Amino acid sequence: MTDSFQNIAVTSFPDVTKIDFKLIDIRYLKVILLNTSLLFIALFIVLFFINDKDIFELAEYSLWLSIAILVAFIVTLFIKNIEFKQRKYAVREKDISYQNGFFFRSLTTVPFNRIQHVEIDEGPISRFFGLVSLSVFTAGDSSDDLKISGLLKEEAQQIKEFISNKIDG
Amino acid sequence: MDNTENFSQFRRQSKKGILIIYLNILYKALKAFWILLFLFIQKFSKISESTLLYIYLGAAVILGLFLVRAFLIFKNFQFKIENQHFILKKGILKKTNTSIPFDRIQNINFKQNIFQQIINVHEVNIETAGSSKAEISIKALSFKEASALKQAITIYDKGTVHSETEIEEKPLLKVGFLALLKVSITENHLQSLVLLFAILVGFFQQISELFDGLGKQELLDNYITENTSSLEASVFLIVGLLIFFIIIAVLSSVVRVLLRHFNLTVFVKNNALEIYQGLTTKKSVILKNDKVQHITISHNPIKKRLGISFITFKQAISGKVKKKQDKVIKIVGCKTAQISAIKNLLFPDENLDNIDKNCSDSYYKIRLYIRSFLILLILNVGLYFAIENNHVFWIDVVLIPIFIFSVELSFRKRYYLFNEDLLLVGQGIIETHKTYLPFFKVQNIALKQTVFQARNNVADVIFQTASGKIKLPCIPLEKAHKIYNYTLFKVETSKKSWM
Repeated sequence: MTDSFQNIAVTSFPDVTKIDFKLIDIRYLKVILLNTSLLFIALFIVLFFINDKDIFELAEYSLWLSIAILVAFIVTLFIKNIEFKQRKYAVREKDISYQNGFFFRSLTTVPFNRIQHVEIDEGPISRFFGLVSLSVFTAGDSSDDLKISGLLKEEAQQIKEFISNKIDG
Repeated sequence: MDNTENFSQFRRQSKKGILIIYLNILYKALKAFWILLFLFIQKFSKISESTLLYIYLGAAVILGLFLVRAFLIFKNFQFKIENQHFILKKGILKKTNTSIPFDRIQNINFKQNIFQQIINVHEVNIETAGSSKAEISIKALSFKEASALKQAITIYDKGTVHSETEIEEKPLLKVGFLALLKVSITENHLQSLVLLFAILVGFFQQISELFDGLGKQELLDNYITENTSSLEASVFLIVGLLIFFIIIAVLSSVVRVLLRHFNLTVFVKNNALEIYQGLTTKKSVILKNDKVQHITISHNPIKKRLGISFITFKQAISGKVKKKQDKVIKIVGCKTAQISAIKNLLFPDENLDNIDKNCSDSYYKIRLYIRSFLILLILNVGLYFAIENNHVFWIDVVLIPIFIFSVELSFRKRYYLFNEDLLLVGQGIIETHKTYLPFFKVQNIALKQTVFQARNNVADVIFQTASGKIKLPCIPLEKAHKIYNYTLFKVETSKKSWM
């Protein structure tokens, strides 16, 4: 297929340290930042109402509360920014891998011959940027399977096709 | 007689099934509305005779309606075998048609609760690994029908290779009453106590909701506070309570073990284990070798001295089923010889005896200490604010040694080792668990590392199987990569069926 599957060389012994990971599309960072901003805007609105109606009698602390939320907002944005560079994925001949996290690093690999089905989801904000997320499900207690967010739509479709062919074949 | 063996036409369950279905509906109704009944009995004397009459009439009508419903459920419950599929039609208004191909059927279990025992019918449960909705429960079949059905399904399953070997007369394992008593006394009593406590808390919540509704919450609160204040005063009461709890804990584990495992018998048949057990509810489970994902062999110091262990078999579970417990099959009271027989059956020709143990990195110990310290801190702060008394901190004199002891033990008991096909993970604090996992059963594998772990060059490896996770905490990164690669290699080249 296309050049997205160049890592095809699985030797008899796969070596996870030698995978060439691909980075997630930079546009997805915008999606993440937008999502975080929306969350914090919602928080600010809640804070505003609490102050306005003085529900918890916190009026005197309202300045400190807003500063705390603002600091949390900036820190979160900063962390999301760092973390984004750690989001990587790779498709090899027989498995698919995904790496993420900065403070909590994790690398997951799912072999194709254990995959039950593949799903592509579009979030409302992601759709605007033409991005999708690809989820892979295995059998049984599959709470912790693999989900790659922020893939280009065509690329995700290609990966899905590739995996489907591998499963059936 | 031919009629009983013929499943090609749609057929219903045994007529006694109406009774079982009826009792089942009654039981469900009682469980949902027992509070109403409780209120009724409590207020019995205050209800005027005319309303009483209405209540009785209403109850009679409801009971009658239940009977009609039971009959309709029975009438509409039909099943047959066609084309290597088990086909089921059911539903009174909303009709469902289920069809399960034989190779998707994971287990066929027989079960008999106390009523089913009295009228001599068997409940047949057909389990699949798919969604929990596809599970089929036929409430009442005569033994002849039930075994014929099982035969019909399993014959196809084994295809041509199936040889008519009857159950060997001699069971692999039979646990008598005395042995079972031994098992139950050496159980983890703390666990039984917690279980019992959980049940009681649920019960208490329902009661307090009831009192709340009646506006008597204060009464109950007063009662409790009165008792707790006197509890603070009396050391004797605390000691007495402790002894009481210990007795309750032991008793509850004895009852639990006896109820569940009474007359435990295990047969080896073809490529499966057949397990029969239970006192009020008799269960028979067939465990196919292929379907077992991993097994755990456990014992505690007392059990070790007596030479008994228990084995837990984990099968593939479907999605997010609540009653995961059902898919965990436990054999208690195994002797060493029986354990090796079962191990041989599941993993033939695997010998892990002479392989060196790999331990977790010492960073794991630091992590355990930090975690216990945090728990201790939260406990102390919480207790201080709850009781507002400096004497609370004396509890640390007891707690700190316990924590240190558990951390040291759990670090020492953590190890893993593997040969070509099989991974063995050891863990435990007071109990010792050994988990055997064949590499090719792994569904996906993950490598996790916190920043601190990265600095120490260690990582957690997590094997996700169809029946849960197995974790190797804090092993050196290099080794982690090696086992990661090896597992992937094993899974990707495996041709064996993993489920």
